[in-house]
Amino acid sequence: MSILFLQFLVDVIFLTLVVMHLTKKNFVAVVAFGVQSFVLALLFFSSFLETGNASILLMVLFTFVIKVVLAPMFFFRLIRKNNLSFSVNTYLNMPITLILIAVLTFMAHSNKFLPLTHIVPEHQVLLSLTLSSIFIALFLIVNRKEALSQILSILSLENSIVVFIIFAGLEQSPNLQIGILFNIFVWIMIATVFVSMIYKHFRSHDVTTMKNLTD
Amino acid sequence: MIAFISSQAGFLVLLSVFAVGAIGSLVFRNHDTWANVWSSFFALFGSLVGIIFSLLMLIQGREMSFSLFQTSFVFLQFSLRIDMLSAFFIFAISLVGFFCSLYGFGYVKHYYGKYSIGVLGFLYHILLGSLLLVVTTSNALFFLIAWETMSIASYFLVVYDRRDASNVKAGFLYLIMTYVGTAFIIAFFLMAYKYTGSFQFDVIKLHHALIPQMIQNAMFACALIGFGTKAGIIPFHIWLPAAHPAAPSHVSAMMSGVMIKTGIYMMIRLFLDVLAPVPLWWGEVVLVIGMVSSILGVLYALTEHDIKRLLAYHSIENIGIILLGIGSSITFYALDMKSLALLGLIAGLFHTINHALFKSLLFLGAGSVIDQMHTKNMEEYGGLIRYMPQTALFFLIGSMAISALPPFNGFFSEWLTFQSLFQGIATLSFSLQFIFVLAAGSLAFTGGLALTCFVKAFAGIFLARPRSKEVMHVKESVLSMRLAMGGLAFLSILFGLFAGFVTETIAFVGQRLDIFHNVKVFVSVSSMQTLQLTDGFALVSAPAIFSFLAIILFGVFLLVRFGINSTQKISFGDTWDCGTHLDTRMEITTTGFARSIILVFKNVLKPSIQQTVKYHDAKSRYIPKSRTVTMSVGNIYLTHFYQPLQKMIDEASLRSKTIQGGNINMYISYIFLALILSLFVVL
Repeated sequence: MSILFLQFLVDVIFLTLVVMHLTKKNFVAVVAFGVQSFVLALLFFSSFLETGNASILLMVLFTFVIKVVLAPMFFFRLIRKNNLSFSVNTYLNMPITLILIAVLTFMAHSNKFLPLTHIVPEHQVLLSLTLSSIFIALFLIVNRKEALSQILSILSLENSIVVFIIFAGLEQSPNLQIGILFNIFVWIMIATVFVSMIYKHFRSHDVTTMKNLTD
Repeated sequence: MIAFISSQAGFLVLLSVFAVGAIGSLVFRNHDTWANVWSSFFALFGSLVGIIFSLLMLIQGREMSFSLFQTSFVFLQFSLRIDMLSAFFIFAISLVGFFCSLYGFGYVKHYYGKYSIGVLGFLYHILLGSLLLVVTTSNALFFLIAWETMSIASYFLVVYDRRDASNVKAGFLYLIMTYVGTAFIIAFFLMAYKYTGSFQFDVIKLHHALIPQMIQNAMFACALIGFGTKAGIIPFHIWLPAAHPAAPSHVSAMMSGVMIKTGIYMMIRLFLDVLAPVPLWWGEVVLVIGMVSSILGVLYALTEHDIKRLLAYHSIENIGIILLGIGSSITFYALDMKSLALLGLIAGLFHTINHALFKSLLFLGAGSVIDQMHTKNMEEYGGLIRYMPQTALFFLIGSMAISALPPFNGFFSEWLTFQSLFQGIATLSFSLQFIFVLAAGSLAFTGGLALTCFVKAFAGIFLARPRSKEVMHVKESVLSMRLAMGGLAFLSILFGLFAGFVTETIAFVGQRLDIFHNVKVFVSVSSMQTLQLTDGFALVSAPAIFSFLAIILFGVFLLVRFGINSTQKISFGDTWDCGTHLDTRMEITTTGFARSIILVFKNVLKPSIQQTVKYHDAKSRYIPKSRTVTMSVGNIYLTHFYQPLQKMIDEASLRSKTIQGGNINMYISYIFLALILSLFVVL
């Protein structure tokens, strides 16, 4: 697969993260996550086309089923069930959020991080972009007050790390990655149940209310 | 058989014996008698193997390096290196371990049904095994594992008698100080790793020149605090007087006799081997610490009326004396006076083994007394020589040895330390002379005060009349306890009588260190066991002193037996008592005995005297019923160093508490910032 197409895919991942930062609707955030996961599945599929390894095809299938189909389904049901159409406020306002996204992107592309982004020289641009995706995903976790947004942020962070690993040539065996996917699936189920319980208890998904959780 | 014992396999067998002893003790944890038999047998057997192993190593002059097993970790290698210095310390640990184990067999019986003997045996074996590992490991991480194992095992032994709240408190203090020390030790090794790229001692030694001098100085400070805390140097000693009395007596003997010496071992290993040659001022600092520790240690011992705390303070004093030898060695080596440096090291090592012997003997003696009296307060003793004559004899020998009286072993190691310091006074420049004069003065001063302190201790415990009713029920210790004390007392005499041979052996140990390779020893030993300095400045002969004292004693005996008693009739009657009834109130107490000296040093010791007067009639205050004088000494380290430090930490903690607001996003942002900062630092 050409480097330009790969770069396009990584750009899509980056943009989905920006959208997740900007959107006020949880539905849009879940769709953005679905798109992001679909791009990840495409990247795995490109890896399968290059290697012809059947295990990787299995991994593509798992990624698609868990991250593109099942996870968004869970989240949509959660939105419907608990009236979570709109997300709660962020800590930082829109202009500052955008400035910080720009700073983090600039930082990831700086020479300081060259030892990280130069692991595979021909993928330097891709790695820089993926590293900025990791930073932005982390920032998304910090900035969002809502539990569902945080779950999506953590999953996006995981997606960004996986993409970074692919382009840095640090991929592990497909079996291990399938195991990780299974782990993530279980975590999504637990997290959604946990979010429902929090909503029942506090009538809110604002994680700042969790500090009221006492024995 | 000999070849096997002195091989790598022999050392592994030695460690295995302690492992089997530990596991077996746990298996029998519900059967006190079996646990005691099993634990004592394996501890004795293991210690005996250790003695034979180390002696064979010292006789053959063999050194060995090997790994227990290979790991896939680059940093952590379970590698061991047993050179002559390690063999010397294995000998000291095994020797003291043997007698403490023998003593323990009889001593732990009073714990039957009270605490688990199996657990005690398990911890005791872990302590013995880890002590051996500490002095043989050649990888920093493996060393830290052994060091921590030793510390944790000793902590649990300190709090073994957990029903006494003061023991638990002492253990807690010990644990905190241990971890403070370990933190500095870890910092030391991390700095070494940063510049040499290895945790292996031999690699650090090979590349230590790559470490910048400023970093080396920081490493010195870390090593001094880290290992000094374990050794009990002032002001990091505060755990020692609390923890040593808390542990069972044979464990106290192990801790005071050999465990604190692991700090000394590491100082020698680092300053005279791994990092050598070191700057001159390192030696001066060690000398000053030695001076301060020796003087203050003995002064605080004088103020004590708790027998075990008194002995613990004497450990601080003796660590100071050892450091005077090692400090002079470092100083001389920095000045390229290698023969004198070797003399200083010999003095330090000789006092190390001597202190291990007589201090463990004294702790065992104290344990026997406490076992019978059920109190550590010397004010409640008195007249015990009548009920425990053998224990009294052994304690007397230990007291004379620690007071550096000839012909006991302590005299000869202190004599060598004096000679080392005198050589400094004779040969060095004025500024250094000044330090050496102070050091020699402090050593002389310490010797005098130690003698005073043990006159007080021995007289207060064993002589005069009983000061409490408990004394009447006292019996002599059981055979195993007496054998252990007797063995150590015999060795204290033997190491004095054959001080020349011991000096030669230690000189050989010193010469096998790389920096002293082919260095001529500044002290020679004649065939008649006479120690003589090469420049003829001084000489001493143990057999001559021994013979002289024996003749004097024999002469006195003859005079009393045939001269005085043959012509005089002995009549027994009451002592003239000026018309009053003689009782224990008329005896001088241990506090009273030391009072005048304490008051001389009141500016240092900050004593407080509290008088309590009880009257016959509460309304009429003319006729007092009783007067009680309580003398106590303030803990200046606690009030002027540790408490302000604690206050500072508390305040800092309260301020830092604000970062813990209970907001998850805030915590994740900390992680995020830490990640970014780490990346900036690392990349």
